[in-house]
Amino acid sequence: MGLERTEELSLNMGPQHPSMHGVFRMVVTFDGEVITKIEPKVGYLHRGLEKLAESRTYTQFIPYTDRLDYLSAPHNNMAYVQTVEKLMGVQLPERAEYLRVIFAELARIASHLVFIASTALDMAGWTAWTYCFRDRERILDLFEMSAGSRLTVNAMRIGGFNRDVPPEFWPALKSFLDDLPEMMEEYFGIFYGNEIVMARLKSVGILPKELAENLSITGPVLRASGVQYDVRKAEPYGIYDRFDFEVPVRYGCDSYDRTLLRLDEIRESGKILRQAMRDIPEGPVTAKVSKIIKPPAGEVYHRVENPKGELGFYIVSDGSPKPARVRIRSGTFINIQMLPIVALGWKIQDLIAIFATLDAVLGEVDK
Amino acid sequence: MFGKGLFTGLGITLKRMLGPNITEFYPEEMPNLPPRTRSSMGLDPEKCISCNMCANACPNKVITITSEKGESNKKVLKSYRMDVGRCLFCGLCTEACPTGALHVTQQFENAIYEADELKWDMIERAGKSRGRGEQA
Repeated sequence: MGLERTEELSLNMGPQHPSMHGVFRMVVTFDGEVITKIEPKVGYLHRGLEKLAESRTYTQFIPYTDRLDYLSAPHNNMAYVQTVEKLMGVQLPERAEYLRVIFAELARIASHLVFIASTALDMAGWTAWTYCFRDRERILDLFEMSAGSRLTVNAMRIGGFNRDVPPEFWPALKSFLDDLPEMMEEYFGIFYGNEIVMARLKSVGILPKELAENLSITGPVLRASGVQYDVRKAEPYGIYDRFDFEVPVRYGCDSYDRTLLRLDEIRESGKILRQAMRDIPEGPVTAKVSKIIKPPAGEVYHRVENPKGELGFYIVSDGSPKPARVRIRSGTFINIQMLPIVALGWKIQDLIAIFATLDAVLGEVDK
Repeated sequence: MFGKGLFTGLGITLKRMLGPNITEFYPEEMPNLPPRTRSSMGLDPEKCISCNMCANACPNKVITITSEKGESNKKVLKSYRMDVGRCLFCGLCTEACPTGALHVTQQFENAIYEADELKWDMIERAGKSRGRGEQA
């Protein structure tokens, strides 16, 4: 019969889908079970943050940066305030610099814990999820006691911090760091060493080194493809050049290595935190900055290493108390473009695994 | 050996199952939140000098203050309203307050049924919480 033929199937995934990590949508075309085409559709969480910045003063925009990558809010705060400080030429007190590193590395651990948890959940591993969230809770408690909020921390100000951390912060941080090796052993036992996880992730979604470089991929996704690139080492910001730490790199280029690299990064963050805790001096946490912030006219770009990739802020100032233009270079927005290329030829359950290991947060993608 | 990882995971789960319970039994037991937690805002109307600095610090124009001239030409607070539906709970208003009249509170049960209830009359709320014997 001439009318009988096979047809490609088009499937809409998201924006409301349990494994879409927010409101990401993709239209996937299948030939049988095999993916032949993916069209990512972003923008469901677009709030126009760049435009909002133009009608806010420099300080008033800090809480908005919390809502970019909301799993590591201190990083976004830090990227933004450091950009403004660079424009103004503010010199920070030592203690504030150390506290920023402590907040940033705690946020990195918290963000990677959510990554491990959500990847486990996408592999239908509920138990591993609860373990990571149990430990992340301790970091959120540290943020809450010092800055007043758990997720949208809003801790940093232009010129340092609004106030010092309370005395009970230090014993809590120490006990967390003491427990960290045991926690990581647990994650390894419950998630990474699991045969089902290995079968689902190993050799799935190969992102070759050349492709990763050509697509401007940054962060752990790039480092799992064998490129040792980290802004903390390549262009040290703050006081990162004072710490002794490694940039973890893996050469598997697959989903499993991308997942495992996050565990390596937690270990290195623990190392930085221990050094910062040992070396932090006493003193003020705020530099002398006028209450109304008016950077000189000009433009500046500054980037930091977010847990998910390179986060950059480009600010144009016209000398008024409000920025003339703010542009946000977010890591995941650029990382996500590997999906339509890398996931081709894989099956639907592999697509979930590949997307999970990208660690996309839609707040940062859609801005 | 295939299956070793599975059993290691099960061993960890079993160990934790026999360990101490870490769950919080909310709402039977209320969590003890640190004093800096920004769950709500509270106002001490006597301390407020109607300087409008909180309203200027707010990124979203949540706060509306009206005042009138009292004795010796001093400003006296007449009304203090917050449109909490637009509030980011960033705490910039409490930082800007020069007298500490506006402060953060740990009252986090803010769920309401009607959209109009999001418009807080801070003076009225201060009176209510004082009636309950709480800190404003």
